[in-house]
Parts: sequence; structure tokens; C-alpha cells
Amino acid sequence: MGESFGRAMTWLHTWAGLVLGAVLFAVFWMGTLSVFHEELDRWMQPATRLPPPPAVISLDRLVVPLAATEAVGASQWGLMLPTAREPMAQFFYRAPDGGFVVHAIDPHTGALLPEPGSAGATGFIVPFHYGLHIEWRRLGYWLVGAASMGMLVLLVSGVVVHRRRFKEFFTFRPDKRLPRATLDLHNLTGMVALPFHFLITLTGVILFMEVYFPSAADLAYRSADNPRGSFFADAFGGFRRPLLNESGELVSLDAMVVEASARWSGSPPRFVRVWHPGDANAYVEVRRTYADQASLTRGQIFFDAGSGRILHQFDTAPVMSTQRFLSGLHFIAFDHWALRWLYFLAGLAGCAMIATGFVFWLEARRRRHAGTAMGGRRLVEALTVASVTGIIAATLALLVANRLLPADASMGSTGRSELEVWVFWAVWLVAFAHASLRGTRAWRDQTWAIGGLAFTAVLLNGLTTGHHPLAALQAQLWAVAGVDAVLLMTGAAALAVAIRLGRRGTPHTLGVDGNG
Amino acid sequence: MVDGMLLAVIVVCAYLGMAMLALSQPPHWRRVAGEPGAPPGCPRRPRRIAVLLLAASLVVALLRDGPVFGSVLWVMVLSAAAAAVAVTLAWQPRTLAQLVRLVDSAHRG
Repeated sequence: MGESFGRAMTWLHTWAGLVLGAVLFAVFWMGTLSVFHEELDRWMQPATRLPPPPAVISLDRLVVPLAATEAVGASQWGLMLPTAREPMAQFFYRAPDGGFVVHAIDPHTGALLPEPGSAGATGFIVPFHYGLHIEWRRLGYWLVGAASMGMLVLLVSGVVVHRRRFKEFFTFRPDKRLPRATLDLHNLTGMVALPFHFLITLTGVILFMEVYFPSAADLAYRSADNPRGSFFADAFGGFRRPLLNESGELVSLDAMVVEASARWSGSPPRFVRVWHPGDANAYVEVRRTYADQASLTRGQIFFDAGSGRILHQFDTAPVMSTQRFLSGLHFIAFDHWALRWLYFLAGLAGCAMIATGFVFWLEARRRRHAGTAMGGRRLVEALTVASVTGIIAATLALLVANRLLPADASMGSTGRSELEVWVFWAVWLVAFAHASLRGTRAWRDQTWAIGGLAFTAVLLNGLTTGHHPLAALQAQLWAVAGVDAVLLMTGAAALAVAIRLGRRGTPHTLGVDGNG
Repeated sequence: MVDGMLLAVIVVCAYLGMAMLALSQPPHWRRVAGEPGAPPGCPRRPRRIAVLLLAASLVVALLRDGPVFGSVLWVMVLSAAAAAVAVTLAWQPRTLAQLVRLVDSAHRG
């Protein structure tokens, strides 16, 4: 390999990493947490900590009466059935005023659960992962997409830059000085989890094909009246028929569910929706679960509400199957605990790879420019601290706020779930301000903060819900016990690192009061 | 129960296989053996054992979870195993000394 090619790759790897590192760390961190979004939801929404759902649920007994009282005049209503990971069912309807209403219900009794007062991981962490919560012109999606393309470039250039390290595979020397140990960790996490990092990034980009390539559908379906709609119908299924404005009835939903499940060789349905309830043209949509397949292949069957006869059956076409399979690998919607934990660990390895890349850049600059004014490096260091330890501390502060805010907390028109999220943003901002003031010492300070926040979150969960780790284990609330266990490990690890950072001191620190 | 045991077999085979790959690299061999020199038949012998172990891990993964989940599981377990071996070499290299003896005896036998 030519010398100049290697140099070009090093340049590319360094600067792309520096520019995209902050976004990539945020995406990787939130993505890693998203692996356990259901479990975090249970932790953050204590009312949904229910015992495992019953094996058979009668929709006729559970939902039909509920719809008759709650969803009067609704243009559609339905139920998201519970799963092992999501023990509550979600009853939803579109109200006559057009608003979409969702209520969590207890699948054992049909009772409505109280408002959670928290967006949970599904409402905050998952959307952060793919859209950064920047909704203006879908800018967040595009930033994540650009960062993902950058990640692929970084992985390829990283293999070229660090190619000699492959001969020293398995090498990790934590006892060496910081730059050496950091580079070892960067290479190790980068190399061992390379297949995962490459695939997860690639599938992430493919997942959002209709955001990044909307014109593809327009082009392929240009003869259709509604190209985008035809594309979605062909790709994801769908069946519509208009209102007849004559009254009609609804036969047994349970019978339709049994029929659908038989057609999917025993796979249970996950989602049932009645369109135009009460109309003679009403129809029922039943969708299959993702829990037992790697792919997000859609199985959809539409029944006539009045007769229970099948109107339309949709199964994903072969081309779309590829996209759905890759999406499935990314989404990990299936039930596979070993893989879920491995995804989580590989995600953490990705976070470590990005963070150590940053630290190595800073250390290299610190030595090269020792004693000279380096305002830019100072800014990069503050950004780095905020985007690594800062976002971790902010996430833990979100959990602490989740347990501290009273159930009816609000500020003006801002409800409890928004307040929680404001705490996240505020702590992140404070972390950045703190890092710009404290320079290198901010690493240690914020690591202490992470340790303190992690233990506080576990303590508050025990105090406010009574489900301290042992009680959660006894009540078989695995999700709560699992989140607590990871929090305790995070706390312990943060304390160990903080103590070590303190012992090591900060020998390379530039004047902290800033000559830059 | 059987599922858990099969998972343990997948993980253990992957870990030992990765450890054997590490031992095929002279610096790691020296660190584990605690003496200068290279593994006997270096690097082919430890690598051959490694390939057998990793293949066993793959076969059990495919049997346990089928072709789709099995292969994904195997790739992910390999990553975790490689990281675990690196950590072992960094902090507790002597725990792998038994493997050094195994390669030695395979050489003599």
C-alpha cells in the first residue's frame, strides 16, 4: 500500500472522526440504550411493571367493551397486544376530532393504567438515536444519515490506518501511559466489534431509505396516481375501503386472530385494528408479531368485520424482504436474550471506540503543542468531555428526574414528561459549560458525577416504587432488576475510573485558567 | 436449560478458539508461557486448534438457533470472546497457561 495513500487515510480518519465524533457518540450511546428500550420503559413508567401477560387474550371480552365506552364515534380503534417484554396492552383510537389517543391497559383486567408521565426510552431515547430530536425539516435524520455514512468511511479508513495493529490483535496494555493505552483500547474495540459496527451502521442507513431517497419511489412508480402511496402499499402492505354510511356489526375478533395465526404457521398477532367501526364496510387489520423472526417481514391480513371473511392478505415481497431482514437485524425486535446483551456490549464497545479516538487526538495534540497557546484544542476538549461523559451524566440525570418529579409536576403548559426531558438538556448544557471552565479536570469531575447519579437513580427507584433490586428479583420484574444492575455496574465502574484519574493526576494539563 | 448449556458451549469454544489464535502470536505466547520462545509448530499448530474450536462453536450455534439467528449469534459471540481474551491477556495472562501446555503436549503427541 502506497505511503501517500496511508497518509491520506490517516488524515481522513483523524478529521472525519473529529468532526463527526460528537454526533456519532450520541447516536451510538442512545442506540446502545435503545437495545433495552422496553426494559427502560418499565423502569421509567412504574405503572407498567405488570406480571407477565396471559397466554391467551380474548379481544372480544377485553377490547370490544372498552371500545364501546371509550372510543365512541372513533374512525378506527385497535389494540397492540402485550409481549413478554411489554406486559401491558395498548388500546388506541382516532377520536372524532381527529386526535389519536393511546391508553395502556392491564391485559389481565382490561383496566386503564394511569398516564405514565414519562416519555420513557421509547419516547425519548429511541427517537434521539435516529433523529437527535431535531425536527426542523427532518434535519436530525439527515445529520444521523450523514454521520452514518461518515462512520462507514471511518471504519474503512480506520482499518487502513491501524492495519499493522491486526498483527497485534488482542493487545491491550492498560498499564502503559495514557496515549498508548487509549490507542490500544481504540484499536481493540474497533477491531473486535468491526463486523457489528459495520453492519449496524449500514443497516441503519438502509432502514431510512425512504427518508434519504424519497425520489426513488416517485421514479419507480411515476405512472401511478399517487407514487408515494403505491410504493408504501407494495412495500409495507395496506388495504383500504371507503365508508358505506350504513350501520354494520362486528363478528368475533378472537376467531379472526385464530384464523390469522393459523395462516402464519402459529405465529401470534401483535396488532389488531378495526377500521370504520360500526359501518357496514368496517374491516379488521391483523398484523403478525416480530418476536420469532429475525426479519421485520410484514404479515398482514384484512378481514371483513361483518362476516369475518378474509378480504386481503399481504406478505412482504422478495426485494423488500432484504430490506426488512437488514432492518430486522438493526431493530432487534425479536426475542433473543443472548443476542440482546451482545448487541448492548458491542454498542458499548462502539462508544468506547469513539471516545478513545477523541482522547487520543487530544493527547497527541497536547504533547505536540505543550506550552503553546491552543484555543482550538481547548474547545475540542470541552466538546469532547460534554459529548462523552456529559451525555452519559445527562441520561442518568433524566432517570433521577424521572424518580424525583412528583406525579403531577408541571410548569405552565409543560407536563411532567417534558420536564424530565428538559432536565436532560439542562444537565448536558451544564456539562459543556463545566468542561469549558475546568479543562482536562472535567473528565474526572464528570466521571464522579456519573457514579453519583447512577447510584442515586437505583436508590430513588427503591424508595419511590419499593422495587429495590432484591425486591424486583423477588417479584420477577427482570426489566427493573436488570436496569438497576446495569446502573450499579455503571456507578462502580465510574467510581473506579474517577479514582484512577485522580491518582494519575493531570500531568499534561495546560494552564487550567486558560492561556488559550 | 438445554438452551443455556448449548449457549455456554458456544461461548466457551469461541473463547478458547480466540485464546488459541492469540497464542499463535509469539508476543502473547511468551507472556502466557512466561518464557522466551515461540509456540511449537508456530503459528500453524495453535491456529489449527483454534479453527477446530471456532468451527465447533459455529456448528453448535447453528444447531441451537438455526441458520439466521445462529450465524448472527456466532459473529457476536466471536467479538465478545476476542475482547475477553484481550482483557485476560492484559490482567491475568497466566490463566491461559493450561492452553500453552495443551499445545505443547499436542506437539509431543
